[in-house]
Amino acid sequence: MPRVRIEIRNLSKTFREGGREVPAVSEVALDILDKEFVALVGPSGCGKSTILNMIGGLVAPSGGQVLIDGAPVVDVPRQVGYVFQKDTVFPWRTVARNIGLGLEYRGVTGPEHERRVGEAIRLAGLVGFEDAFPATLSGGMRQRVALMRTLIVEPEILLMDEPFGALDTHTKLNLHAELLALWEGKHQTVVFVTHDLSEAITLADRIVVLTRRPGRIKMIHEVKLPRPRDVIKLRESDEYAREYSQIWHVLGEEFIPEGG
Amino acid sequence: MNEKVTINLWRFGILIVGVAAWEWLTGIKAVSKIPGLYFIDPFFVSRPSKIVERFVYLNSDKVRLTLWQMLLSTVESTFIGFFVGVSTGFVAGLVLGRNDRLAKIFEPYIIAFNSLPRIALVPLVTMIFGFGLLAKVVLAWLIVFFIVFFNTFQGARSVDPDLIHSARFLGATEGQIMRSVVIPSALAWTFASLTPSISFALIGVVIGEFIGGESGGGIGYLIISSLGTLNAADMMVSLIVLAVTGIVMALGIKQVEMRLLRWRPEYQQR
Ligand SMILES: Nc1ncnc2c1ncn2[C@@H]1O[C@H](COP(=O)(O)OP(=O)(O)OP(=O)(O)O)[C@@H](O)[C@H]1O
Ligand SMILES: [Mg+2]
Repeated sequence: MPRVRIEIRNLSKTFREGGREVPAVSEVALDILDKEFVALVGPSGCGKSTILNMIGGLVAPSGGQVLIDGAPVVDVPRQVGYVFQKDTVFPWRTVARNIGLGLEYRGVTGPEHERRVGEAIRLAGLVGFEDAFPATLSGGMRQRVALMRTLIVEPEILLMDEPFGALDTHTKLNLHAELLALWEGKHQTVVFVTHDLSEAITLADRIVVLTRRPGRIKMIHEVKLPRPRDVIKLRESDEYAREYSQIWHVLGEEFIPEGG
Repeated sequence: MNEKVTINLWRFGILIVGVAAWEWLTGIKAVSKIPGLYFIDPFFVSRPSKIVERFVYLNSDKVRLTLWQMLLSTVESTFIGFFVGVSTGFVAGLVLGRNDRLAKIFEPYIIAFNSLPRIALVPLVTMIFGFGLLAKVVLAWLIVFFIVFFNTFQGARSVDPDLIHSARFLGATEGQIMRSVVIPSALAWTFASLTPSISFALIGVVIGEFIGGESGGGIGYLIISSLGTLNAADMMVSLIVLAVTGIVMALGIKQVEMRLLRWRPEYQQR
């Protein structure tokens, strides 16, 4: 039995905005195992980012708590990497200097720094763009930079908030393949937020379906597709279609407008 | 013809026409019989030919202090005031911008001091710092400090919190966040204030020179002593020199800005 890395205990969050209370997350309980790839899916505004922020120690829960490796999360946990929903590549740094940030912070310099940054740039397919500023890159390239910048410090736990949300399908599929290949090598524990069900099925071991705001767990679904997965061929398979319709049956209800 | 050439031709044309009209209108008589009554009186506005003549004279060794030496004195004070103003304004802006409590404590003082017209401080500054270089520098500093301070303060406030969070997840300490996130993003705001700052530094210095008299020297002193001798040509020489100096300094700042902010989309060559 693999050990539990992230333990989410009855997690709730209510935001207070000028006297108004906005319940965002309600009583979410979930154990995420070591080396597991979990996807959180749900409609926009259902509290997915909020859950991730509470796991990452950026938002304090209103109720319940999160434990990582048995210790309650209070600040930004050391073993966690976070790829944000928003573009957080530093615009004033070149590609290479963005990717090298984590090493720089940890005092890794000289040939070791060069080697690891070079390796990451190769893995991200960004050779030739080392000295380019982010403003000159495409959205897909910027996401690759953001991903590599996070992975280069080798976090054991990876939080990803709709990292490919703004990309076209083709770029997205490429990045899925790249992400899966990297993950097959390191087997990080991943919590991946998305509202794209196909993306969740392609990547995850388990899919957690959330309700409309305030987000509650509606269903937890095991994806039984074998690994390693071929992101293109997978979509043609009957198993994929079956997984999709099973989850869609439940998730689709959440997309019906309120009162409709 | 391309757009750039056309624009430059127009600029040049306007200059030529303006100078020629000036020379001509100050040379013809308004009423031909009365001697010395010109269409436009060169006593007040001088004439281009006279200005060139005085320019050459003021740069010759017939004068005790050449125009060039006076310009150097003005530029030197401007630069010192500018650099001291920018560095202190920048540091103060960063510190208060990232520290809400300090910002709250100092707020009333800063507002009070900033709403004081800087020119009203000139006599006091002169009284304290004397008639030399120091008073001019202090005046320039007082002006520049606040411009840079307010801009940097805003810049430090508006740093994207997600950039700070992502740095934290990459293992940054507070000091590293300051250096790698806060300062670079605030710099874009600081730079926006540098061009006005250098112009205002020059204003501060010239006002200081008005009051400072001969020991302070500078172009401002040349202007005020020309008023004493009712010499419009010397005033015009000073004004033209100041205008050119202002342009050159502003262009210099722009160059530095383009170098340091080359990551910004508007500075990237296509
Ligand atoms: N800092 C905040 N202050 C007040 N309300 C907030 C704050 N952050 C989020 N909310 C509210 O909480 C709810 C959930 O937000 P959250 O960002 O977690 O949604 P999400 O599921 O990530 O949505 P999306 O898919 O659009 O990114 C929303 O209604 C939002 O308005
Ligand atoms: Mg979100």
